[in-house]
Amino acid sequence: MSIVRRFGMGLLAPLTAVAAAMLITSIVISLSGSSAIEFWEIIFSRPADRVFVNIVNQTSLIYLAGLAAAIGFRMNLFNIGVEGQYTLASYAAASLAGAALFPGLLNVFMSLLLAVAVGAAWAGIAGVLKVTRGVSEVISTIMLNAIAITLVGYLLNRYGVKVGNGVRTEVIPDGSRVDGWFPFAEPDGPVWALGLLAVLGGIGFWVLLNKTRFGFDLRATGASQSAAVASGVNVNKMVVYSMLMSGGIAGLIWMPSLFGAAYSYGTTFQAFLGFTGIAVALLGRNQPVGILVGAVLFAFLNEQSNRLTLETDISANVVQITQGVIVLAVVVAYEVVRRYRTKLEQRSVTETLEADKTAKGKAVSA
Amino acid sequence: MADTATTHAVVLRDIGKRFPGVVANHDVDITIRTGTVHALIGENGAGKSTLMKILYGVQRPDEGAIILGGQEVQLHSPTDAIAHGIGMVFQHFMLADNLTVLENVVLGAEKLHGIGDAARKTVAELSDRYGFGLDPDQLVEELGVGDRQRIEILKVLYRGAKTIILDEPTAVLVPQEVDALFENLRVLKEEDHTILFISHKLDEVLAIADDITVMRRGTTVGQARPGSVTKHELAEMMVGSELPTPAKEGSTVTDEVQLELANVSVVDPRGRSLLTDISITIHRGEVLGIAGVEGNGQAELVETIMGIRKATYGQVRLGDVDITSWETRGRREAGIGYIPEDRHRHGLLLDSPLWENRILGHQTRRPVAKGMWIDRSGAREDTDRIIEQYDVRTPSTDTLCRALSGGNQQKLVVGREMSGAPALLIASHPTRGVDVGAQAAIWEHIKRARKDGLAVLLVSADLDELIGLSDRIEVLHRGRLVAEFDPRDVTPQDLGAAMTGAHEDAS
Ligand SMILES: Nc1ncnc2c1ncn2[C@@H]1O[C@H](COP(=O)(O)OP(=O)(O)OP(=O)(O)O)[C@@H](O)[C@H]1O
Ligand SMILES: [Mg+2]
Repeated sequence: MSIVRRFGMGLLAPLTAVAAAMLITSIVISLSGSSAIEFWEIIFSRPADRVFVNIVNQTSLIYLAGLAAAIGFRMNLFNIGVEGQYTLASYAAASLAGAALFPGLLNVFMSLLLAVAVGAAWAGIAGVLKVTRGVSEVISTIMLNAIAITLVGYLLNRYGVKVGNGVRTEVIPDGSRVDGWFPFAEPDGPVWALGLLAVLGGIGFWVLLNKTRFGFDLRATGASQSAAVASGVNVNKMVVYSMLMSGGIAGLIWMPSLFGAAYSYGTTFQAFLGFTGIAVALLGRNQPVGILVGAVLFAFLNEQSNRLTLETDISANVVQITQGVIVLAVVVAYEVVRRYRTKLEQRSVTETLEADKTAKGKAVSA
Repeated sequence: MADTATTHAVVLRDIGKRFPGVVANHDVDITIRTGTVHALIGENGAGKSTLMKILYGVQRPDEGAIILGGQEVQLHSPTDAIAHGIGMVFQHFMLADNLTVLENVVLGAEKLHGIGDAARKTVAELSDRYGFGLDPDQLVEELGVGDRQRIEILKVLYRGAKTIILDEPTAVLVPQEVDALFENLRVLKEEDHTILFISHKLDEVLAIADDITVMRRGTTVGQARPGSVTKHELAEMMVGSELPTPAKEGSTVTDEVQLELANVSVVDPRGRSLLTDISITIHRGEVLGIAGVEGNGQAELVETIMGIRKATYGQVRLGDVDITSWETRGRREAGIGYIPEDRHRHGLLLDSPLWENRILGHQTRRPVAKGMWIDRSGAREDTDRIIEQYDVRTPSTDTLCRALSGGNQQKLVVGREMSGAPALLIASHPTRGVDVGAQAAIWEHIKRARKDGLAVLLVSADLDELIGLSDRIEVLHRGRLVAEFDPRDVTPQDLGAAMTGAHEDAS
């Protein structure tokens, strides 16, 4: 099969899924008595400059979340705890950065390091519980989510700064802010510089999985644990390492926003990115490029839907239906396309065979 | 032809089946007479398993007709096949260890006779009628391979199969169990059942089959009756080459110890003894054969040497290094090659391409890795070498392992484990599932490496292989070494007696 065709085939599944999701969303909107056309007009309108910047920024956060989830998934480890890991890590990093113990960019660097360490440690608990006590990581990470969120709430109330009705950590000093670039006018906001973490994360993830021994061991364990063990992989170690890595990346999820816009942990903290990450990892089949496509799609839908509330009677939550259906439909579509592809390949084998036969037949009769 | 059709249990006509990059079956014509044992033989990748899967409704043919009892049928699933009286026993048993014989048989077929007394009565009746000697209430985990296979056959009989397909049923059996199985097959035949079985062991085929069909490169190339054909002729039809005889050459045994187990015992968490007081020594250039009925500690012995299982007591030494506490990876790096008994579970990543499977188990070594990096092109090149040297039939190194036939997967595993000149080879059934030609080739590879100093621990159910390759044979029974033989003057009968515990009872 030609490269073009193969690439087209690769897109077929996600495109079908998106089409199905659009159809179902339209039906839901129509049933609730609103206009589906109006909905899609808004979603597919050219994003305003400000919205465009937001989409790019959101993509970087969602992408990091997707990577964090995907590392575990590649090994059949279901780290549902990305949410708790990045919440705790974000709080810790914001506190450290706000305390301004270090000057300027060193402060940023140390805070990022702390975020990675906290995320990794929190995920590591689930890893250690799994290998020493046989506790399913699904259960433990869900519980750790609850604990992390409660813990951060408590710490924030206890040590935070009261501002109006809210509480937040100390604001990061001017010298330690990393805003980024302004592609449009100043009021449209910056593309966060730390969004580059997502780029590095994606490249690192690809290199790690496909080029390194560690990545091979990880994939082998995910593909067949018994074969991996016989090949000399220490599965317990791998479980702990990959949980640490998953949690470490999770720790970075909110950092672009912290240093580029929020400057403190408080009401501006963006929750639920951990769960979005799980959906996006599924959507992208745990592949770096796939996750990127998923992240862009989710960020786009999220940002475009904000206008709905202002301009129509359609709830912005409707896009969550679209997103949910996309994930479900993609799972189905991948399977359908896979079968179709096998059929095509078989047909091409038949054609070559037929050609062979006629050629041979001639040779024999001659 | 038409009037005799009813005495033909199965007629397959012009069957064709293609997979990406290969033609697994084309123009296959087979006629199987009712009430006969029909053997299907052919080299690895000839298309035998594919054909049987088509007959059992697991795969749909691309073209051709399946005619059962004179009627053309479409089989969409195994359920369809069973409804037409066709049952299949796969090479890998599918039994739940912690259930009883009865529960295993009834599982999934509760509609037939319920799960109570009626079911128990039917199971007991079937077992009696065909001389299976199975107790419906016994736990499967207490049973050996032979009995497990009988349960699998009972399962298909219970579901009403009249035609039974067995894919390489004797590969896992020692000779006594093969005899017992054949006895069962004869009774089944007398009761008008039709048996279709695949085998690479020509002696067995000649002993039991009424008709023989030979396949080569996806199609049927010949038919034969046991009375009028010799083993040599069959082999020639199959692979177009001479039959191998595991000839003995001069001893290459040195006095340098390569592997030593000193009083090794393994006790499982429940306190049961799996291996008791095992002491063995293998020198460089020596092949130590381990004979035994499957399930008598072979797997545990092998896993203890590989570090997958830890010895509860005792010591394992490689050369003069104590490796008792080493992990599997360290042991492999120290030069231990490992051919596991179950290639699917322990030897391969079925959904990965061949070149990635070349890396498995060698992750830290050249030519497939460089420092912390995987060396793709090195892995690809070396896979090509294995494909060439071990005659692995595959479209390319990028083919997924799952798409290879059983025997070709085995050849790949053997080729990989012989890579990089290992010092010690732990080989469990190294030629299980490979055809006679490939078997001879693998033996040749092992012998050549032995000449260069390779030490081998050979576990095999194939007594010809054990006797032909080993310099010494130890018999493992219930986790103990119970007898030692010199392969030059041992008969399969002696070995057989020791394997079933006759020696132990005497002592
Ligand atoms: N699922 C599959 N996908 C692609 N190719 C396949 C698949 N199953 C079998 N093949 C190919 O079809 C051919 C026939 O395979 P098959 O398993 O029927 O051989 P076989 O005669 O049973 O060999 P063996 O004696 O080694 O078991 C092989 O070339 C194999 O690679
Ligand atoms: Mg086969």
